[in-house]
Amino acid sequence: MSATARKGVHPLTLAVVRYKFLAVAEEVVETMIRTCFSPLLNQSRDFSAVVLDSDCRVIAQAERVPIHMGAMPFAMRAMQEAFAGDIAEGDILMANDPYWGGSHLPDITIATPVFFEGRIRLWVANRSHQGDIGGLSAGGYSPEAREIFHEGIRIPPTKLAERGRMREDVLRLVCQNTRKPDDMRGDIMAQVASVRVGAERLMALFERYGAEEVERCAEAILDGGEAAMRAQLSRWKSGRYTGVSYLDDDGCGHARVPITVHVELAGEEVTVDFRDCPDQVRSFMNSPFANTAACVNVAFMYLSDGQRALNDGSARCIRILTRKGSIVDSTPPAPVTGCTTLTGSVIIEAVLRAMEGAAPRAALAGFARRFRFVIAGTDRDGKPYIWHLFSNRGGAGGNAAEDGWSNLGVIHNPGGSPSPSIERTEAGFPLFVESHALRPDSGGAGRQRGGLGGTYVLRYEGAAEGVLNAAGEGVVVAPYGIGGGAPGIVHEYNIARGDRTIPIGTKDSGVRLLPGDRITCRSAGGGGCGDPRDRAPDLLRRDLDYGYVTPEAARRFYGHE
Amino acid sequence: MRIGVDVGGTFTDIVAVEAGGRLHVAKTPSTPEDQSVGVVQGLGQLAEACGLSLQALLRVTTLFIHGTTVATNALIERKGARVGLITTAGFRDLLELREGTKADRYDLREPFPQPLIPRPLRVEVRERVRWDGKVEQPLDEADVQVAIAALRERAVDAVVVGFLNAHRNNAHERRVRAIIEAGAWQPYVSLSHEVLNREGEYDRFSTATVNAYVGPGLGRYLERLRSRLAEAGLGVPVMVMQSTGGALPIDQAVRHGVGAITSGPAGGSMAGALFARLTETPRLVTCDIGGTSTDICLIEGALPLERRQTEFRDIKVAIPALDITALGAGGGSIAKIDASGILELGPESAGAQPGPACYGRGGTLPTLSDANVVLGLISPETFLGGRMRLSRGLATQAIETHVAAPLGLSVEEAALAIMTLANTRIAEGIRACTVRRGFDPRDFGLLSFGGAGGAHADAVARELLIPKAIIPREASVLSALGFLSSDVRHDFACTIGRAIPALRPADLADAFATLEAQGRALLREEGFAEQDIRVTRLLDCRYHRQIFSVEVRAEEADLAAASLDWLGRKFEAAYEHLYHHVHRAVPGFVDTCRVAVFGRLPPLDLPRAARGDDDPAAAHRGTRRIYLGDWMEADVFWFDALRHGMVVRGPALIDSASTSVLVNPGSVGRIDAHGSLVIARESAA
Repeated sequence: MSATARKGVHPLTLAVVRYKFLAVAEEVVETMIRTCFSPLLNQSRDFSAVVLDSDCRVIAQAERVPIHMGAMPFAMRAMQEAFAGDIAEGDILMANDPYWGGSHLPDITIATPVFFEGRIRLWVANRSHQGDIGGLSAGGYSPEAREIFHEGIRIPPTKLAERGRMREDVLRLVCQNTRKPDDMRGDIMAQVASVRVGAERLMALFERYGAEEVERCAEAILDGGEAAMRAQLSRWKSGRYTGVSYLDDDGCGHARVPITVHVELAGEEVTVDFRDCPDQVRSFMNSPFANTAACVNVAFMYLSDGQRALNDGSARCIRILTRKGSIVDSTPPAPVTGCTTLTGSVIIEAVLRAMEGAAPRAALAGFARRFRFVIAGTDRDGKPYIWHLFSNRGGAGGNAAEDGWSNLGVIHNPGGSPSPSIERTEAGFPLFVESHALRPDSGGAGRQRGGLGGTYVLRYEGAAEGVLNAAGEGVVVAPYGIGGGAPGIVHEYNIARGDRTIPIGTKDSGVRLLPGDRITCRSAGGGGCGDPRDRAPDLLRRDLDYGYVTPEAARRFYGHE
Repeated sequence: MRIGVDVGGTFTDIVAVEAGGRLHVAKTPSTPEDQSVGVVQGLGQLAEACGLSLQALLRVTTLFIHGTTVATNALIERKGARVGLITTAGFRDLLELREGTKADRYDLREPFPQPLIPRPLRVEVRERVRWDGKVEQPLDEADVQVAIAALRERAVDAVVVGFLNAHRNNAHERRVRAIIEAGAWQPYVSLSHEVLNREGEYDRFSTATVNAYVGPGLGRYLERLRSRLAEAGLGVPVMVMQSTGGALPIDQAVRHGVGAITSGPAGGSMAGALFARLTETPRLVTCDIGGTSTDICLIEGALPLERRQTEFRDIKVAIPALDITALGAGGGSIAKIDASGILELGPESAGAQPGPACYGRGGTLPTLSDANVVLGLISPETFLGGRMRLSRGLATQAIETHVAAPLGLSVEEAALAIMTLANTRIAEGIRACTVRRGFDPRDFGLLSFGGAGGAHADAVARELLIPKAIIPREASVLSALGFLSSDVRHDFACTIGRAIPALRPADLADAFATLEAQGRALLREEGFAEQDIRVTRLLDCRYHRQIFSVEVRAEEADLAAASLDWLGRKFEAAYEHLYHHVHRAVPGFVDTCRVAVFGRLPPLDLPRAARGDDDPAAAHRGTRRIYLGDWMEADVFWFDALRHGMVVRGPALIDSASTSVLVNPGSVGRIDAHGSLVIARESAA
């Protein structure tokens, strides 16, 4: 019996209402795009929107940033518990605290309940990555942070509006704790506007179909998501699998920190056990539980085939076990800002590696990890600027059917927003790009080769000294190969000054830049899939002709003479 | 006589308009191997309908506008020219590095989108221009000679020249062309700054590459067409429809091949603009529901809105084009029960082959068209003017097997669910288009055309609280008609790249004057008199550190003003309309100055009929049983027999050779002076 028949919802209403929920989530994001204030948010579009039921389960999401999605229910539940029995129509709730269901401090979640006939029926929420949240350094990524208090302002569940009336005092309090209070105010107000639009649209649904019918639809959608995930799990091979992936280091002297996961796949259900992970670390590489859960969710979505039911129903058959105080379920006051982009990738990798044996056709070889930096200095008009390296992402891993994509990068948000143009970089900042090219041999050899990383060479042309701050991973641990494929080549960033070469570490900050310095960023290639000697001869010949693979590597890895 | 020819995937549509406004239409199967064959066949059919010989028809033809899918198909099917790239040393891989993006972030096993120019055909030469146009490294002409020899050796048909910062200083790109032209080998050449003269190397290189990829094939096709038509007696130049909604003479069109991509849908938008004028509905949303997709375009102030770039299956085309959004929902969209057990429509489509189950060509999966046949909304007898008889039995069987039985519904309930889901998807698609632009759908009228549109227009308008849905009588050939309401159009751009306070009024006035002079000269060469030339001027503005810019229109009076206060004001107003806030303390930044020049073609006017009796009895063609939650008898009318002033109350169906329009209970349709059906809520009518 189908999910729909079980819940006694009319299939016509259900199909229409499901589509309306999706349209509402999209409209929340569109509203955010059109109203967000700070240039950074406007460009990076680092925000997501969801519609949740009254139990804070996601029933529809606007597909933007995968890592936001699985995490939001935790923040929402923390909000609902904090104000149990004290939530009124027109309230706007806000939170960012990782230890109140959040991920990391820059991600602020704003939500509003949708009341109908005196009860909360649904929630609309928007999570946006703010440009600054206070703390040790601008932007929030501080490898030096040793406590969450170093990372910025903590906002436990807080009412930003009561019965439709904005709490200006709360807004001021939050904004004044950041370096760009005006940007912050504008972006928070945009979030508020966007969830209000969503709530208004959902009200129209209640008026049309009746609250009970809409709620039954929500339930049926979740049941459907669960059914889809159960069917998916049962198509994979049951068993107990272990996956380990390593952080390069914890940023305070400990190299190769393992993330170990045991995945127990039993028919239609799966248990994902992280209890063997080490204790939380001193730096910002810790992951609070919500972020870890989101990573698991994302990994299973990547492995699923065809149409994915992107709602919380799928989470019902995935059980996650962690140990409090470990690196994947940290406790206060451990700092956590690196969890979404750095540790998150490694958690996803561990799950994907564990699942390789269960789902070999879906398995993905390793992707390049994130290694970004910012340059701060003064521009040609003498004004201060911060430039972000958004280019040169590294390669994606291969899979049983296809080579990995070149220049796609990062498993927690593959692709992401378009890299800004070289011409815009040169026109707006005292920087000169000398080259940007594919990096031969960087993709791991395999029957399906890993995608290539790139080489991006930048000359610092500031009139005075500048400063470079890095936050990254992937100069030690290479993107893994699968099924006999070779790993990709790791990132390698350095500064050439005269005849000296100064390596750039992934967690270096305050690196001095002198006029004329040449910064070379070689990004990692993806891992390969399958035995390289089984690579189709025409593909290998093309790789050689095109220079993706050098003759030497062809001999060494592919046995090509 | 003016003739518009629209070659689509299945049919070639031809519209001819006599001087008095009288319309003739013809529809023939397209001939994909050489589209010009179908064009000439269609013209023959049209001549017959006009009672003329083909020669006589072409002799009295004063304007011939043609829209072709040759360029689009070459790109989609990856059957374009063999193209080589000459680029700045260090940057030959930019086309392959893309901008690091991927549309679907969950499906990580898709194949990598191979660039249109493979790596060995991308050759570097030493040269470098800085951000401000100064030369960092002069062009190494020996490198250029080697590059040209290498590409010639590798037998490319076309060469793209793309250098960094060529929008600031194009001397090196031009020099390479001069060197090529001085040699014996004459490939098709495309310079990045000529195709797109603005900042953004990937946008320029990618667009110039598409231009070179489709240009040579388009050129060969248009040459064949030109000679066929000249042979048949056509005495005027063939004009080629562009994605901007303007037209270009053949030679220009070949040089600017990228402009012909998506020119077909642009015809529909231009028709939208025409009907916005005719029906005095300045804000109109056009909705063309076809076999596999629904094209949506907003018309504001009787002009279609434009966009600055289009993603074409992972290929970026960054020239201005009418902003047409394609939704994956059409008559051929397949309905299924998805993994969640919930009804879903599309994105898979049955296409033309095998087509919907009711076509009886072997399709067994249920489509939207099958649902509409089961519901009685499409008449199996009059579909395509009776040329194709549809099978209600096969439609019923497909829906029963794949939708009704699994959901535990009756066949008609299942069909109604499919149709309602389609209405929802199309309505929400339109809402998204309006909201994205800062508009409210309720302020628009709906113009519906396309074969599958009639069953949905009224319902979609009601869903969005759009006050009226207009179905033009010429719905089946509307794109071809739209061509005839276009003007000749050339676009020009140059880079400004400065903050508003750093600009003097003369800087902008001079920049515009230079571009305008180029445009006017071109149009005069094409035979346009001064009074038939119209110019629009746009500035792309943003805040300094932002990526996305907004358009500001500059009027002649603005450019004469003594200060640039108007620019700041207009920029803030445009920004506020879109984003609901402004940064008052921060000055705007001007990226690009753009000019479009239009050579006015005689405006198209459709004849107006005098208003007659409101009783539609003369057009009545019996009744049909339809299901809209209950089975009911609906009056059926024949569109061609309905006259100005006639009123049809729902539930009713209005059949024509190309579509079948549903007027829902509670709605009322009236025929306006141009013969269009205008549907509104009964209470509002």
